[in-house]
Amino acid sequence: MRIDNAYFTRRKFLNSILGGWLGTLAVTFVSPIVKFVWPPYKEPDEVKLAFADFAGMKPGEVKGFPWGAKPGLLKRAEDGSFIAFIGVCSHLDCNVSWMADKKKFFCACHEGWYDENGMNIAGPPPKPLRRLETSVEGEDFFVRKPGAGAKA
Amino acid sequence: MRGIRIVILVAFAALVLSPLTAAAQVPSSPAAKASIEKELSQTPAAPQEVKPETQSAAPAPAVKPAKKVPEKRTETIVPAFSGIKERTAVFVFYVWLWLSIVVLIYFLRLWVKESDRVYHAKYYEPDESPRKANPMPPTLGD
Amino acid sequence: MKIDMKKVGAWFDDRLALTPIFKYMTKKEVPQHEHSIWYYTGSSILLFLAIQIVTGIMLALYYKPTLEGANDSVGRIMTDLPLGWLVRSIHSWSATFMIAFVLTHLLAIWFTKSYRKPREATWMTGMMLLVVSMVFGFTGYLLPWDDLSLSATKVGTNIPNAIPVVGKWVTQFLRGGDDVTGDTLTRFFLFHVCILPLVIFAILAVHILLVQKEGMSVPLEAEVKKKKVPALPFWPNFILREVMIWLVLLGTLLTVALVFAPTLGPSADMMAPAPAGVKPEWYFLFLFQTLKIFPGNMGPVTGEFVAVVLILVAIVAIFFLPFIDTKPEGKKGRIINYLGVLGLIYAIVFSIWSLL
Repeated sequence: MRIDNAYFTRRKFLNSILGGWLGTLAVTFVSPIVKFVWPPYKEPDEVKLAFADFAGMKPGEVKGFPWGAKPGLLKRAEDGSFIAFIGVCSHLDCNVSWMADKKKFFCACHEGWYDENGMNIAGPPPKPLRRLETSVEGEDFFVRKPGAGAKA
Repeated sequence: MRGIRIVILVAFAALVLSPLTAAAQVPSSPAAKASIEKELSQTPAAPQEVKPETQSAAPAPAVKPAKKVPEKRTETIVPAFSGIKERTAVFVFYVWLWLSIVVLIYFLRLWVKESDRVYHAKYYEPDESPRKANPMPPTLGD
Repeated sequence: MKIDMKKVGAWFDDRLALTPIFKYMTKKEVPQHEHSIWYYTGSSILLFLAIQIVTGIMLALYYKPTLEGANDSVGRIMTDLPLGWLVRSIHSWSATFMIAFVLTHLLAIWFTKSYRKPREATWMTGMMLLVVSMVFGFTGYLLPWDDLSLSATKVGTNIPNAIPVVGKWVTQFLRGGDDVTGDTLTRFFLFHVCILPLVIFAILAVHILLVQKEGMSVPLEAEVKKKKVPALPFWPNFILREVMIWLVLLGTLLTVALVFAPTLGPSADMMAPAPAGVKPEWYFLFLFQTLKIFPGNMGPVTGEFVAVVLILVAIVAIFFLPFIDTKPEGKKGRIINYLGVLGLIYAIVFSIWSLL
């Protein structure tokens, strides 16, 4: 059935409403499922550590700390300041290790090398190790994402 | 001939099943029973013993920080919305759900009525030959 | 490059034989009579099964089937994940709805005697599906690992022990040892998410194929009197009605799940005394009460043994019902119907009794 000068039939009109509504309902069901399957778990913006654990580090020494589910690496520079890295290779996400004798970070997965400042110097890594900011506040030792700032 | 075959089959079955029946047999003499009970009582509850070991086996960075051991929960978890935002979202979703059900059923009823009318009018059956009741699909039949 | 969708469609049609299947669906007829309403129970079960699969996969993404992790991981699903408590509630309630519809389906077929020749095998596969569904429920009940689920599983897995020789072996198989431990939890999880799904799909495929092969049954009276029953095509007349019922059931399930979401008790302590009010799932209540009323010892055997044997005999008898009820239209058929009513009353009364 088609009304004069109409662009579509009654059948087409009803079918579109039914199909469209059913489709929209289906989409609203998918959205909570998607939220459940991809929950918003992210790496932390900052972690709080006890300064006492790191105060005794000698210059050039490297210690690990947990950055969420990733290994963090804390290095004491020659001038006594702290440099923190996320110990994950910028190539394919493998965890790197500190080679104390060579003073380099090494990723065993594809033989990637970083110098003691985290710069990629050899092998496939395309970028340096990610750097984090550190600050000592009383007895606490904070490690933060660059630009995350103090959250007191 | 057939008798021999059956004898061999039964003997084979007995051979296969003998470890099972031996395991399932309950010792009848009191002395044997007591010894087994003693053995059982000495076996520690294994899963509880290994608890701390499984936790320390996690891959650790160079220095393992002192991790707080979560206390055993003693209260019952009662389901609840995480906040007013979630509560509102769920409420809106349910209103939308039931509205959809009502609207969709309205349209489906139209479709059903039309389908029934077309069927009873024998719209798709120009000839008068009786429909065959429930034939097998051609792909499954032969 | 322009893709000719008609050609793509024809390619798939050629290989998957879609046209014959669709033709079969339009040719397939569903009889219309005063008992037609019960035909819809079958497709409703499929709806709940589909919901169980979706929500089950979602829960399994975060569930940990270990002694240390089980209860906490369910707690995390309920508190940390977006609407996790609702997902768990839907899974739990959909199980209840599914079993309820399986039982309704069974009773409807019992009283309309649709199991009669040539549908004996359909009935028997259906009985297998009932047992598998109940085992699904039983294994799933343990997984949250709180006091109630531990005690219910202890009682349930102890039942085979009543049977001499074989029983002890069965119990040890179910528990993975002499007691309900973390190993029991792990194997129940394995059964719940891997073995039983494979089993239920295999039996379900045969069941549905048999339904297609024999067609829908017509009422007994019509068959005896050789009366022609009016029918409607499966597609689209019947399936559209099914969709309407699905929508209402879906809305009801989600609403019930929202209002009556299950709680989660603390992690089970294997050394603690059984908590008060240990109850299995509702569909096991009448069996639970049956076991309760038998005395400890009955002559040379235990009361539990007698009860278990009686239950097993009843299950086997129901499984072979089409061969017992050889004259459905005669006196025997009527007696079977009365037995069905009696069984239903027994199950209801005993279930209520166990709750008192």
